[in-house]
Amino acid sequence: MTPMWRLVDIVSRVLEPDEQDAVRGDFAESGETSGRALRGLLGLALRRQTALWRNWRPWLALLGAVAPFGILLSLVSRRMAQSSAITSWLYLNNWDWTYVRNTGFRLDFAHDVAIVLFEFLLLSCWSWTSGFVLGYLSRRAIWINGALFCLVLVTVELWGMPRFLGRSLLLSRADDFSPNSAVFSGAFYREVFPLIVHTVLVLLPSLWGMRQGLRLAALPLPLRTMLWASSALAMTTLAMQNSPWWQVRTWNNQPPPPPPAHLPYLAPLAVIGPLGYLLATTIGRRWPGRSAAFK
Amino acid sequence: MTIGEFEYLLLTAAARLGEKAYGAAIRQEIESATKRRCSIGALYTTLDRLETKGLLKTWMGDATPQRGGRAKRMIRVTAKGIQAATAFYDAVTRVSRGVTWEANRRMVGP
Repeated sequence: MTPMWRLVDIVSRVLEPDEQDAVRGDFAESGETSGRALRGLLGLALRRQTALWRNWRPWLALLGAVAPFGILLSLVSRRMAQSSAITSWLYLNNWDWTYVRNTGFRLDFAHDVAIVLFEFLLLSCWSWTSGFVLGYLSRRAIWINGALFCLVLVTVELWGMPRFLGRSLLLSRADDFSPNSAVFSGAFYREVFPLIVHTVLVLLPSLWGMRQGLRLAALPLPLRTMLWASSALAMTTLAMQNSPWWQVRTWNNQPPPPPPAHLPYLAPLAVIGPLGYLLATTIGRRWPGRSAAFK
Repeated sequence: MTIGEFEYLLLTAAARLGEKAYGAAIRQEIESATKRRCSIGALYTTLDRLETKGLLKTWMGDATPQRGGRAKRMIRVTAKGIQAATAFYDAVTRVSRGVTWEANRRMVGP
């Protein structure tokens, strides 16, 4: 397969499977050149995408999920990467086997590792749920909404909010992290580690969630209600536990203020998002006459 | 139900092809009749529109080796489609009566 035909193959995935088959078959039968096939296919894909945007769902996904969740997730990811970088530096860069003999050290170590892992779990749950909501609402408009969501994630992570364009984190000086300058003096914890956290715990789970949301077809009303309630609850905890203004301050490398004490600690409820999905799909498969709803 | 020019071309091509009407064949029929390119985008979006209006019915046919093992989207014009195409043709015939190109065409022959 030539690179042009490979491109035709990729673009054709925007179409519904049956239409994809019919169009590719028509190209093969009429001996279309790859250039003409690609032009025709792009025209069809554009018409199909335009038609999708006449519905309210992609708009709701774009306005309600792409920008707010994208920005918030990137900010939370940055904060969690910074706090886990300190823990990681503390143990990995200062490790001494003699410490292990100390009971107090072992307890502290187990506690700190558990906190980091728990935060990572929450972040990946929030990311998965954001992607899932986006995929489910956008359907085939996910090609545009998904690309915009990834663009927001990458832009906020790399270049930040417009106000701070002049001094992105990639270009930040070590003294921006003065409270923990020993950790952030090296490029790894300052620049590479946040990117790894962002890619592994935000970008990849979001894409996975989008895929799951896209593949999910009709569910019986009670299960659909359960699924939406669990997703809404998970996303509410993201907004509540990670107050955007607090995040912006952290992201701007100012010492974060203590979390608002009047809010209950609801972050663990983030896992309800993926759990709700697992439960709804498991029950849905056994629902009488509903197995065809799952692809 | 009123239809446009391209919709009429598509319905007519599908009606002419009968049981052999599917995407590529209709496209070829339209291109050879009009001597103009028919884009795949226009073809498939118009097919959808006509199907929504109930003027034709489509379904996925069998896969053939000449199509690389891919299925055809088969098309059949409905009674409502025949009615709409007839109405369009009648309107064009009526409005063309007595105009120069219609008179010239009658002298030259089809």
